[in-house]
Amino acid sequence: MTSWLIRRILLLVPVFLAVSVVIFLILHFIPGDPIDNLLKVGSSPQARAEMEARYGLDRPLPVQYGIWLGKVLHGDLGTAIVARRPVADLIAQALPHSLALGGLALLFSSAMGVMLGVIAALNRDRWPDRLIMGGVLAGSTMPSFWLGLILMLVFSVGLGWFPISGARGWTSLVLPVLTIGLGGTALVARITRVSMIEASARDFVMLLHAKGLSPLRIQLAHVLRHALIPVVTILALRIGWILGGAVTVEVVFARPGLGTLLIKSLSQHDYPVVQACLLMLAMAVMLGTLLGDILQALMDPRVRAAMA
Amino acid sequence: MTFPFRKTLLSASVSLAALFAGAAVMAQEAVFVLNTSEVGAPTYNPIKATNLNKATTLIFDRLVSQAADLSYHPWLAESWEEAPDGMAWTFHLKKGVKFHNGEPFNANTVKEWLELFKASENAYMTEAVAEVQVIDDATVKFVMSRPEPNLLYNLSSSYMSVIEPKSYKELGDNYGVTEVYGTGPFKLESFAIGQETVLTRNDDYTWGSPLSKNTGPAKIAKITFREIAEDSTAFLELKTGGVDMLLGVPADLIGEVKKEANLAVLTMPGQDVYYMPINVTKPPFDDIKVREAAAKAINQEEILASVFGGIGSVADTFLISALPEGHVPDADKIHYDPVRANALLDEAGWKMGANGVREKDGQPLKVSLWTQSDSIFRRLTEVVQAQLKAVGIEAEITTFDSSMIRDQYKTGEQQLAVRSYNWDNADIVDWFFGGDRLGYPNVSMFNDPKAEELRAKAMTGSKNMEERVANFTAYHDYVLTQFPMAPIYQPVDAVAYNADHLVLPDTINAPGIGPVAIMDMEVKE
Amino acid sequence: MSAAAPIRALRRPSGGVAGLWLALVALAAVAAPLLTPYAYDVQALREAYQAPSAAHWLGTDEFGRDLLTRLIYGARTSLSVSATAIAISVACGMVLGAAAAWFGGWFDRAVTVVVDLTWSFPEILIALILVAIIGPGTTGTMIAISVAYLAQFTRLTRAQIMTLKGETFIEAARSLGAGNAHILLRHLLPNALAPVLVSAMLATGDAIILEATLGFFGLGAQPPTPSWGGMMSAGSALVFKAPWIIIFPGLTVAITVIAINLYGDALIAALDIRAKLRRAA
Repeated sequence: MTSWLIRRILLLVPVFLAVSVVIFLILHFIPGDPIDNLLKVGSSPQARAEMEARYGLDRPLPVQYGIWLGKVLHGDLGTAIVARRPVADLIAQALPHSLALGGLALLFSSAMGVMLGVIAALNRDRWPDRLIMGGVLAGSTMPSFWLGLILMLVFSVGLGWFPISGARGWTSLVLPVLTIGLGGTALVARITRVSMIEASARDFVMLLHAKGLSPLRIQLAHVLRHALIPVVTILALRIGWILGGAVTVEVVFARPGLGTLLIKSLSQHDYPVVQACLLMLAMAVMLGTLLGDILQALMDPRVRAAMA
Repeated sequence: MTFPFRKTLLSASVSLAALFAGAAVMAQEAVFVLNTSEVGAPTYNPIKATNLNKATTLIFDRLVSQAADLSYHPWLAESWEEAPDGMAWTFHLKKGVKFHNGEPFNANTVKEWLELFKASENAYMTEAVAEVQVIDDATVKFVMSRPEPNLLYNLSSSYMSVIEPKSYKELGDNYGVTEVYGTGPFKLESFAIGQETVLTRNDDYTWGSPLSKNTGPAKIAKITFREIAEDSTAFLELKTGGVDMLLGVPADLIGEVKKEANLAVLTMPGQDVYYMPINVTKPPFDDIKVREAAAKAINQEEILASVFGGIGSVADTFLISALPEGHVPDADKIHYDPVRANALLDEAGWKMGANGVREKDGQPLKVSLWTQSDSIFRRLTEVVQAQLKAVGIEAEITTFDSSMIRDQYKTGEQQLAVRSYNWDNADIVDWFFGGDRLGYPNVSMFNDPKAEELRAKAMTGSKNMEERVANFTAYHDYVLTQFPMAPIYQPVDAVAYNADHLVLPDTINAPGIGPVAIMDMEVKE
Repeated sequence: MSAAAPIRALRRPSGGVAGLWLALVALAAVAAPLLTPYAYDVQALREAYQAPSAAHWLGTDEFGRDLLTRLIYGARTSLSVSATAIAISVACGMVLGAAAAWFGGWFDRAVTVVVDLTWSFPEILIALILVAIIGPGTTGTMIAISVAYLAQFTRLTRAQIMTLKGETFIEAARSLGAGNAHILLRHLLPNALAPVLVSAMLATGDAIILEATLGFFGLGAQPPTPSWGGMMSAGSALVFKAPWIIIFPGLTVAITVIAINLYGDALIAALDIRAKLRRAA
């Protein structure tokens, strides 16, 4: 197990390097130049050269990459060119908001999704199943910005229950969490339902039934535990959504967050900020896939056997 | 042992209560929303910034203040004299003024402050000042390299907010970002870029501009400036009581604000002009006839009525109508004239084709029309597109992010665009049509020898204000006759506020809502 | 895929209703000029912001244009952009996935790593970054969407071929002396086709939402060309003044995507490929 884990983690090193090259290069394909945003109009070419030298943009690309990577590995994310402050500060400002929103939305959609999935599976092909699956399907097919605006119109403007925008206190989290959470619920509910149904057909369940355990107890205590593994795996694999997938909802509710920061700095060509944001996301994604692999390994007897 | 525990429990529940109270406004605290054009301003450093928000004007004071009639009045300078030849200015400074960090404000401050402008983003503000002489602790003399009739205007601009030179040098790039010290009625408590800025009252403040009734300290104890990128979101916040005032309300929302019983709108003459730059170097607009036709295809009245709900006024020159330099001969003003537009296009060889698009040598009259992503620009641009189509010009819209579009202009690839500026001085003509700023800000790529000559005369050849007005009028007039742009619309400067929470002064003797108005503002208890 | 499966899917009640809606939308998109007396791009500023009425069934937008007309023409843009994007994505994904599965080794490992990483990245961020590189407009969004979904189809095709590779009929073909290319093209890809096509159909639903979202950011079809996302983008700023401008396009997107999902589910049942799809997820 340990050697497999070490090999798996070592494999992340070349992946990380490849990802960092892609992230570094992709920005240089975007037309436009952050220096343009920064230089005063009518500046001389010398002023431009000075500014480029100051941000190291005058060196050849591989050298720039080397310097950047070296700094990143030391935990130095550089200074934002347009926002003029350490990138780490900007990320530290945005990250808690993203984690709160993404984390709560994940919690909501997991809890709701598993609950609805279980109810649907227990009532397979009867009306509660149809109703739930129809409901979660409808919830996942509405564009999130649209759903967010409608929720805002009803609950904030109409009923006055929640604030319209911003990140001020827990009340401002309710509608964004609902908006994102409803979309995620569908995925979780569908997988839970299907894996519940599949798991109930397996041999050990027959055995439990034969032992005379109550069907509900079998479902909730044994079948659900097996059924949850694919759910957790999928969620781990899609961890990038927690951090970056909320961007449209952040825009609608004027909330700060990693997605907004990324989009804003992308449009301003603020290279260091975009690079740092993407790197954060990529690292989260890599950890997510690692987690997913480990979970998959743990549940797959063939892999377990190979590791032992 | 129990007592401290209960105390922490108590304080915990208090802070929890504060958390639950959320956006509720407490006594003498107010939440303002910045104008959307000021969203994302990265710094409160007036010397290096190219975009400063309204909160800046509360952190800093200026030497001179400007009244509603655009006349100049004392502020940190109690009085001043200009030498008869315009080659020297002497300022007598207010005594006892202190910066937020305790440093005194005096003649040396002014000298050091002006030196910082050299080679900065806003160097042109003090370009004509050759030397600052300290006469005594409260007197400075500006020795000029040439007469600068615009000096008082520059000194009253927010870019010439008086900063504290010592901390400015110590903090470097952090000045205006992590910390900032001015002499203004409010101190910076926190600044999260693109989100919010919190200011707290400067209780020592007694040196406010005489244009407001209250010269200090301010009545409001704490102001939060929120940055909300979308006007409709900001409006809904105001409507539901989440914020107390919007510092900029677009015309199409003014009607909505007036529908609400508890909301009020205050309008003042605006400082914005919406216009359509025409790139004079890109065919077919290298032909002045086509430029004039495009300019006269724009139906300003229709835009005013339909896009802006009839609020504000049409623009027929490049300058806001309050400026004397806008008084050009009527024949040179640019008005909607579809007959002339069609005739000019016929004359230029562009004949109407079958599908309503003109053609010449088998080529359709198809041009690009650039705009920025804010919803009001997108709406206005679609109307402009339809109006151009009406005379047979097919314009293809491309939308760019508002912060990115300046870079795009620098490519010089634009043909037509819809944009706006905010400035209340005639030198904006120089800024947007100067031959040395091609691309951006000279989006029209206008570089005309005669215009350059008139421009030099207007910028540096005026000995006094009268001469400056005459020179700028001539320069502005000539630019209009070359059609490097089409004027569209002048909005009013409108703020909307919650009348149940805020009391605004009856009269505001300033060109806009700024420190003069906010010093007299009160929160209803 | 047997040709009768799409018809069989229609016989199920949900599949039938969904198929009917999709046929209606597609028909409306094709026959747009015949269905409405209004033009999608002619402004009548005096008639702006009209609520739904007999003359304008869904009301008018901020330029006085008939909303239903724009919705119908918008179907052209939204459906063609999403469908084309997914078609490109499927074509590229199948080639990449098949190659990875067939050649194996370091090539397979590299493809898998890249695909897994991009698959885990939110599609909206991938698309937004790509549009920033390519530039806004229908072509830009089309490419962005196809790249955003590339990982999904590469994964799926690879997984299909990996399973099929071990099956007896492939072994049989090989023992009969069939060449690599022959086996890949005549045996493996056709067998992998059904699940890929069905999941492509489901992805088209997601792509419609993604296209709408890009339109919401102002990056999709440029005016006056209508697209569902573009209409909602304009409507979002007018939500308290003329809510119908945003409500109807949103409902159209939701109903269309639901229909695609229901029909897709019916198709999966008709083809009996549920197990094949799950294995690849």
